[in-house]
Amino acid sequence: MWVKLAFKLFSREFRRGELTIIFAAIALAVLTVFSLSSITERIGLNIAQKSSDFIAADRRLSSNHAFEPSLLTQAQGFGLKTATMLYFDSMLFANDELVLGAVKATTEDYPLRGKIAIKDSLSSQSYEVDSGPKAGEAWLSEGLFYTLNVNIGDNVELGAGVFKVSKVLVKEPDAPFFSLSGNKRVLISYADIAKTQAVQQGSRVFHRLLFAGNEQQLNDYYTWLKPQLKSNQTWQGIKDKQSPLGNNLDRAERFLLLAGLFGIMLAAVAMAVSAKRYCERQYDPVAMMKTLGGSRQIIRNIFLLHLTLVTVFSIVAGLLIGFILQTIGADYLATFMGTDLPQAGIRPWLLSSFIGLICAMMFSLKPLLDLFDIPPLRVLRRHLGDTLAISRLHLALSFMTIFVLMWLFSGELMTTLILFVSTLVVIVILFVVSRLLFAAGRRLGLRPGTSWSLAIATLQKRANANAIQLISFALAIKLMLFLVVLKNDIISDWQMQVPPGAPNMFIINIAEQDVAPIEQFFNDNNIPHEAFYPVFNGRVDAVNGEAFARRVSKQEGEKRDENARAGVNREPNLTWLTTLPEGNKITQGQWFSDGVMTSDIIEVSVFDGWQKALDLKLGDTITLLVNEQPINAKVTSFRKVDWGSLKPNFVMILSPNMAGKVPVTYFSAAQLQDKDTKDISQLLQRYPTISMIDIKSRIEQAQAIIAQVSLAIGFVLSIVLVSGALVLISQVQASLAERMQEVVILRTLGAKGRLIKLATLYEFILLGAIAGLVAAIVSDVALLVIQQQLFNIDGRLHFYIWLLGPLSGAVFVASIGYFMVARTMRQNTQHLLRKLA
Amino acid sequence: MSVLSQLNVIQVSGLTKRVSTLEGGLTILSDINFSVKSGESVAIVGASGSGKSTLLSLLAGLDVASEGDVHLDGEALSTLDEEARARVRAEKIGFVFQSFMLVQSLTALENVMLPAELAGASDARAQAIALLEKVGLSHRLEHYPSQLSGGEQQRVAIARAFIGSPKILFADEPSANLDSKNGQLIETLLFDLNKLNGTTLVLVTHDEQLAQQCQRIIHIEGGQLEKISEGRVTHVG
Repeated sequence: MWVKLAFKLFSREFRRGELTIIFAAIALAVLTVFSLSSITERIGLNIAQKSSDFIAADRRLSSNHAFEPSLLTQAQGFGLKTATMLYFDSMLFANDELVLGAVKATTEDYPLRGKIAIKDSLSSQSYEVDSGPKAGEAWLSEGLFYTLNVNIGDNVELGAGVFKVSKVLVKEPDAPFFSLSGNKRVLISYADIAKTQAVQQGSRVFHRLLFAGNEQQLNDYYTWLKPQLKSNQTWQGIKDKQSPLGNNLDRAERFLLLAGLFGIMLAAVAMAVSAKRYCERQYDPVAMMKTLGGSRQIIRNIFLLHLTLVTVFSIVAGLLIGFILQTIGADYLATFMGTDLPQAGIRPWLLSSFIGLICAMMFSLKPLLDLFDIPPLRVLRRHLGDTLAISRLHLALSFMTIFVLMWLFSGELMTTLILFVSTLVVIVILFVVSRLLFAAGRRLGLRPGTSWSLAIATLQKRANANAIQLISFALAIKLMLFLVVLKNDIISDWQMQVPPGAPNMFIINIAEQDVAPIEQFFNDNNIPHEAFYPVFNGRVDAVNGEAFARRVSKQEGEKRDENARAGVNREPNLTWLTTLPEGNKITQGQWFSDGVMTSDIIEVSVFDGWQKALDLKLGDTITLLVNEQPINAKVTSFRKVDWGSLKPNFVMILSPNMAGKVPVTYFSAAQLQDKDTKDISQLLQRYPTISMIDIKSRIEQAQAIIAQVSLAIGFVLSIVLVSGALVLISQVQASLAERMQEVVILRTLGAKGRLIKLATLYEFILLGAIAGLVAAIVSDVALLVIQQQLFNIDGRLHFYIWLLGPLSGAVFVASIGYFMVARTMRQNTQHLLRKLA
Repeated sequence: MSVLSQLNVIQVSGLTKRVSTLEGGLTILSDINFSVKSGESVAIVGASGSGKSTLLSLLAGLDVASEGDVHLDGEALSTLDEEARARVRAEKIGFVFQSFMLVQSLTALENVMLPAELAGASDARAQAIALLEKVGLSHRLEHYPSQLSGGEQQRVAIARAFIGSPKILFADEPSANLDSKNGQLIETLLFDLNKLNGTTLVLVTHDEQLAQQCQRIIHIEGGQLEKISEGRVTHVG
C-alpha cells in the first residue's frame, strides 16, 4: 500500500518541480563525468597510440652498442612483437655527387606502430605502407633525389654497396619532427648492413630494439630486462613531451579535467542545497503522516523510494545525454584530427554512475535522516525540527563527499587536494568577509522605508543564510570566471603558436652565397619569409674540460631516458644570433651584449632543458666539436624554449662573434601558397642543394585540433555554466519560502509592490556584486598559480574580470533572484497567505 | 446510555510535563487528572500559554509526559514507544488542526485517503469520497489545497479526521483561522459528524462559545487544572 502512496507522492513532487533541481544536479554530475571522462579517455588512448607511432613501437631500447641476441628472443618469449634498427651516417654517391646521408636499416617488421609514407615518384601522391624496403633497395628522402640528381630506378652507392632507388621516403613514424638532417634520410633493409661495410669497429652507430605488445607483456619483459640493463642502454616509453600535438592535447586534457572537477563541485553544491531544501519541505508532510499513524518504517520506505527513483532517473538521463554529447564531440574531434578515436571502455559508464550514486546518497543522507527524525509534535509546535536544519555533520559529510567525488574523477590526489583545500580557504575567507560586510552595512544608517534600506536590512537579518548564499554564489561565479579566462588564455596561447600567416615551409641547407639571391627571389615573388639563420652542427665534447660522454654515462634511469629524448647525446643544430628569437625567454643570465662582437670569448645561450640535463651553470665552458674543430664557448644565459611552437628552435645559440669561424649553411622559413608551387620548383632547380620541409599539413592539423578542442572546451564550459546557474537557482529557491513570508507580511502591511520588488532586486544586486568581486579576485590569483603550475602558460593578471566579476555576478544573481521572486509577487496576498498557512 | 459508552476512553492521571530551558526547568503542566467517557465531547480551554496545546499533544501521544500517564482506550501511552504510539494514533485517533495541515502535493481526495492508506486500508478511496460528500466537497475531489479556500481546506481536514472511524477526535482550535461564517460551518460539521459516528471529541479552544457546545469543559490555567465545568449540551446524543 505504501508503494502506491510513495509513487503518487513522487509523481506529484516531480510535477510540482520539487525534485527538478535534485534531478538536474545528479544528471549534470553524471553527464559531466561521463562525457568528459570518455572524451579524455578516448583522446588519451589516441595520444598513447600516436606516441607509440612516434617511436614506431610501444617501447624502445637504445644503445650505441650491439645488443645481446637473447634480449630479442626473450622478448618474443614474452609474446612481444619485435623489430631491430640501426642508425648510421654514410656517404652516398651517384652521378658524381657525394653526400652524407643519415641511414636507417630496419628489419621487415619495422614499424611496429604507425606507418611509413612513401611515393612511387617525386610527382606522385604519397601512400602508407607497413614495412621498409626489401634487400637491395633503398628509399631516399626527396632532398637526396635533388642533391644526387637521381630518379626512381637509378642506382646509388651507399658505402661499399650498390642499391636500387625504389621509393621516395616521405615520412617514417619515428623520424624527428624538426631535424635538419631530415632531408638526407635513407632507409634500407637490415640485411644489407654488411653490404655497405659502413659499420666498422668504432663507427658511430645507434642500435634500437623495438617492442610492441600489451601492457602486461611489456611490463613482464621490462621486469626481466631491468636487472641486466647496461649503463649504455636506455629503455624508452611513450612519453611524448616535445610534440606540439601532445603538448596541446595534454593541456586540453588538463583543462577538461579541471572543468570536470569544477562541474562536479558545482553539481554537488546544487545537489547538497536542493536535497536539504527538499527534505525541509517535507518536514510538515512527514510530521502529519506520523501524526496520522504512519510508522517510521513506512515513511522511511516512501522517501528512500523517492531517492532511489530520482537517482535512477537522473543517472539514466545523465548517461543518455552524456553519451549523445560525447558521441557528437568525439566524432567532431576525430574528423578534424583526421584520426580514429578509440572507443572508451566501460570505465566512464561505471565511474559516472557511481559518482551519480554517491552524489545522491551522500548529499541526501543527513537531510533524510533529519527528515525521519521529525517529531509528530511539529503539527502543533510549528518550528520543531527546524533546528536540525543547520548541521555540522551534513556540512562535513558534504565536504567529504565532494572531495571523494573529485578524487574519484581525477584519480589525482594532488590536484584534488590543491583545488579542494584552496576552495576551503576561499570559503573561510568569504565567510569572514561576508560577516564583516553585513556588519558594516548596519552602520550605514539609511533612511527607513526606502528600497535600499529594506534591501540592506534584509541582508543583515539573514546574515548567516546570506553568508552561505554569498559563498555559493561566489564559488559558482569564481569557477565560471576561472574557466572562461583559462579557456581564453589557453586558446589565445595556442593561436599564438600557429598565428595566421605562420611559415609553412622550412628551407634548409642554403649556401652562404645563395642567401642574398634567394631572399631576393622571395621578395620578388611576394613570398613572406623569416630571417636567414646560420646553421651548423656541433657535438658537445666537454664541459669545463670534462669529457661529455663520461658526464652523460654517469646519469641513470629516467634522467637518461629524458636526456635521450631531448637529444643530449646527439649533434644538435647550432646558430649564432644577435637578438633573442621570438618565443624564447631568458631564465638565467643575460643575452649577448653589443660588446661581445669585439670580444675574443664566444658566448653561448643554452636551452634550460639541457641546463638540467647536463648540470650546467652560468660561466661554464662548453667545448663544441664542429667539423672536428674544437670551439670553446662560455655559458652566459639559459633560455626557455617553446618546443610546442612551429618555429625554428635551437638548443644552443652562440654569440654573433662566432661568424666566420666555421662553415655554415643557412636556414629560413617561408609561407607558401599553392600558387607559389611553380616558382618554388624553379628555385629548387636553380639551387639544387637547398631542401624544403613541408610543415603545412602539420600546421593545418594543429589549427584544426585547436579549433575543435576549443569547441570541446566551450562545450564543457557551458556545462559548468549550467551547473553554476543551477547552484544559484537552488540557493534562491531555498530562501524563497522565507522571502514569501516577508513579501506577504510587507504586502499585508500595505507595502507597494514596487518597493518590495526593488528591495529584492537591490538585495540580489548587492549579493551578486559582492560575490562577483570576491570571486574575481580569488579566481585571478588562483589562475596565476594554476596557469604556471598546470598549464605551463605565463600567468598574468586579468583586470577585466575584476569588473566582469561583480558585473556579471550582479546581473546573473539579480535576474535569477528577481525572476523567481517576481513570480511570487504576481500572486495576490490572499493566495500567498493561504499557501503559507 | 449503554454500559460501553460509560467506559473511560481517556484516563489522565498525575500528568506532568516539564521542559528544560536556558533558565532551568520549566513546568508546563502539573499533576493533571481527569477522564473522558466514550462518545463524550470535552473542550479544553485556557489562555494562551496555559498549557492546553501541550495537554492535547500528550493526550494524542504526540509527546511524552514527564510524570503521570494517559490511558487511551485502555493503553498506557507511557509504556509505548513512538512506533507503538503511531499505531495507536492510526487505529484510534483523528486530528483537526488550526492550520489544516494538508499535504500540499496531494489532492483533497488523496489527503483524506492518506490515513487509511498509511494504515493499509483497501477501500480508502470509497471511504474518502463518502466523507468528502458529507462535508459538501464532492465537487472538489481533485483540487489541491492551494486551490481551496480556508474553510474548504478545514472541511477536507475534518473528512480526513473521520476516515477509518476513529474512536477519539482531537481538534486544535479548528475554527481559529477562519472567518465567523466559515468557523461556524466547521464547528457544526464537526459536532454533527461526531454525533453521527459516536466519536469522542476533545477540542482545544480559547473560544468560550465553542467550548460551551461540548458536554464538559476542562479549564487549564498556568499548567494546572483549574476546574471542570458542564457545557450547555448535557448529554450525548
